[in-house]
Amino acid sequence: MSIRKGKNYPYGIHVNDMKYLTENLAIENMPLPGKVFISMSQHIGAPAIPVVNVGDQVKKGQLIGKSCGAISANVFSSVSGTVVDVLDIVNAMGQKQKHVVIENDGLNEEVFLEEMTSFEPKDLIERIGLAGIVGLGGAGFPTAVKLSPKTQLDVLIINGAECEPYLNCDYRLMLERTDDIYKGIKYTAMALNINKIIIGIEANKPEAIKLFSEYKDLDVVILKKQYPMGSEKHLIYCTTGRKVPCGKMPFDVGACVQNIKTMIAVYEAIDLNIPLTQTVMTVSGLGIKNPKNLKVALGTSFNDIIEYCGGKSENTVKLVAGGPMMGKALISLDQYARKTDSGLLVLEKNEANVDKPTNCINCGRCADNCPMRLVPVRIEKSVLAGDYMMAKKYGVLNCLECGSCAYNCPAKRPLVQSFNFAKGKIREIQLKESQREGK
Amino acid sequence: MSNILFSTSPHVRSGNSTKKIMQNVCISLLPAVIMGIVYFGIFALLTILVAVVSAVGSEIVYRLAIKEKFEDIISSFDYTSVVTGLIIALIIPANAHLYIPAFASIFAIVVVKMLFGGTGYNLVNPAAAGRIFAFISFTTVMNTFVAPSIGAINSSVITGATSLQSFLNDGSSLSSIDLLLGTGVAGCIGETCKIAILIGAIYLAVKKIIKIWLPIISVAVAGIVAVLLNGTIDAFLPAILSGGLLFGAFFMATDYVTNPVTTFGNVIFFILFGALTSILRHFTGYETASFAILMMNVLVPLIDKISTVKPFGYTKPQKEAK
Repeated sequence: MSIRKGKNYPYGIHVNDMKYLTENLAIENMPLPGKVFISMSQHIGAPAIPVVNVGDQVKKGQLIGKSCGAISANVFSSVSGTVVDVLDIVNAMGQKQKHVVIENDGLNEEVFLEEMTSFEPKDLIERIGLAGIVGLGGAGFPTAVKLSPKTQLDVLIINGAECEPYLNCDYRLMLERTDDIYKGIKYTAMALNINKIIIGIEANKPEAIKLFSEYKDLDVVILKKQYPMGSEKHLIYCTTGRKVPCGKMPFDVGACVQNIKTMIAVYEAIDLNIPLTQTVMTVSGLGIKNPKNLKVALGTSFNDIIEYCGGKSENTVKLVAGGPMMGKALISLDQYARKTDSGLLVLEKNEANVDKPTNCINCGRCADNCPMRLVPVRIEKSVLAGDYMMAKKYGVLNCLECGSCAYNCPAKRPLVQSFNFAKGKIREIQLKESQREGK
Repeated sequence: MSNILFSTSPHVRSGNSTKKIMQNVCISLLPAVIMGIVYFGIFALLTILVAVVSAVGSEIVYRLAIKEKFEDIISSFDYTSVVTGLIIALIIPANAHLYIPAFASIFAIVVVKMLFGGTGYNLVNPAAAGRIFAFISFTTVMNTFVAPSIGAINSSVITGATSLQSFLNDGSSLSSIDLLLGTGVAGCIGETCKIAILIGAIYLAVKKIIKIWLPIISVAVAGIVAVLLNGTIDAFLPAILSGGLLFGAFFMATDYVTNPVTTFGNVIFFILFGALTSILRHFTGYETASFAILMMNVLVPLIDKISTVKPFGYTKPQKEAK
């Protein structure tokens, strides 16, 4: 419909985005690995239950993990071959999770989902759930659940901000698969019964803005280049002017936010009948020889990915799954690609955060930058004093963990770590209280 | 894999650090240092050196005394004591004996800063406290100001507060240009040349270390309060251009550690600081910027308490139906 500038939001930070490393590299298909380790818990909610046994022959696209419970997602095989093991592996978060190990037989036999006959909203949602699609922006919330809100929504917002430094996978997809994304968006809008579609793109992606402005029924909103513009709450505010109240979800203001990669998965599931078996990730950082945008099969080992990109340098100090601001540090490369992975970073000393924390000098930079308008220094001090309820009073539960405070902290305080810790403690306290009340 | 670091997000960080900020503050004080030396000669340089060396020295000795390793002290040295020493030297009169800056610096570092836990834990501005310590201990010397050796010299030694005081007492006033350049104005080493202070302040603002509009507010408030107290508009320029107000507002009140956290809190802090300086000046006749800073510093916890910000998307909690 139109191109317009997004609403200005004054709080946030400007990060050194380092996108130049992979900005102009087309997405490559990484050859299928010899063995894949597919996690049964690649989403928020209950882990899928393995439905294959050791020794079973599986084809690419065959269901191997069945969703269990209301919030869960199916998992499909990404290669054809033999199931050689079902075992527990500790993931990047330090949790033990079931993984199905499949040895690739190289035949690349593929099975597809059934052809769709009716395109009613409930059929679309059912298909999206069946194909194991989850929010691919990082959280991994099952998309089918997100598309079945209790109240009628009135706006669908597509998140093309990609505000994380280094990552370019969404940007490359927007350039290379514009049409597929558009179709995915249309199906999602149909499923939600929404006419108003907004796509928010950061101003540093002019080509993507140009491509999407061709579509008559998309409202393209140019967002200021600012971190964290891709946060749901801020994206909604900057594109529609609505403020999501504290502790509420986007659907409370009638909005649904979807990620670019999710839209492609929706298109593939509905038009091509392909379940979600791969992810596009940016392999970047100064420590990697050949930074790349890669399409990898789920369950590919990070070791294989790093090797495919030419290996890591001697000076590597940090490995990160995801973006540098919110991703998880890896203790080893024995991790396997998941649906929600959008980056694998190999950071060298001069770009990574390796400084030791010093005393807080009370400069207030954290409070000036916090996109949620919290005062991180006060929260941290109450956490350090062991007063978690005070931290709650200062609003730690509103924290996005975006890292804006810690990014600019001159004393290098581990602020986000404190907040995570406090959140866990508060949950513990509340659980205890509710138990006591129950008695 | 042993050299791989494992920590929480964010994994990248901006290049700023406490050390860099303090180095920049040192650089921003250089114009005032240079003009101090130009105006007051080699003795000013000696005063500055003594203050800085005793500040840095006492920090190192203190940390050695509490059994920190020397390498750790060197690697974690963050230049805050250099800043404290420099500021102390710049806010004492040029004819002060050399033991005065030394005493003030040692008091500021050991008693005010290190005993409370070092950088970031001091309750009040060390430099202001050091100056007041010297002021109370050596009142005569600290309240005798000499005029620079160049420029139109009114009288070589003035006892009393500021040219504001002399303006009010005998009606004779220096021109604003003289006040701005500090020529012919009796004052402290670094406080005399206002141009140098402003250059330093602009440097800090460009480096985004201070929000320059905050000290400007306090200076303006101080001027307005002086006008109200004296009942004449002529008091405005002498009030803001004399004494330690400009230096205090730009370099001492902006000290992070002893400031409120939020911008809103800082606005309260700086308005009250400006007003308090003028009021104290009017009723005591002494140079009171340091006292005002100290008083405001102890008010900071209170200001912090009232200056909360509403989180993004804050809604008033709905009253539960009874």
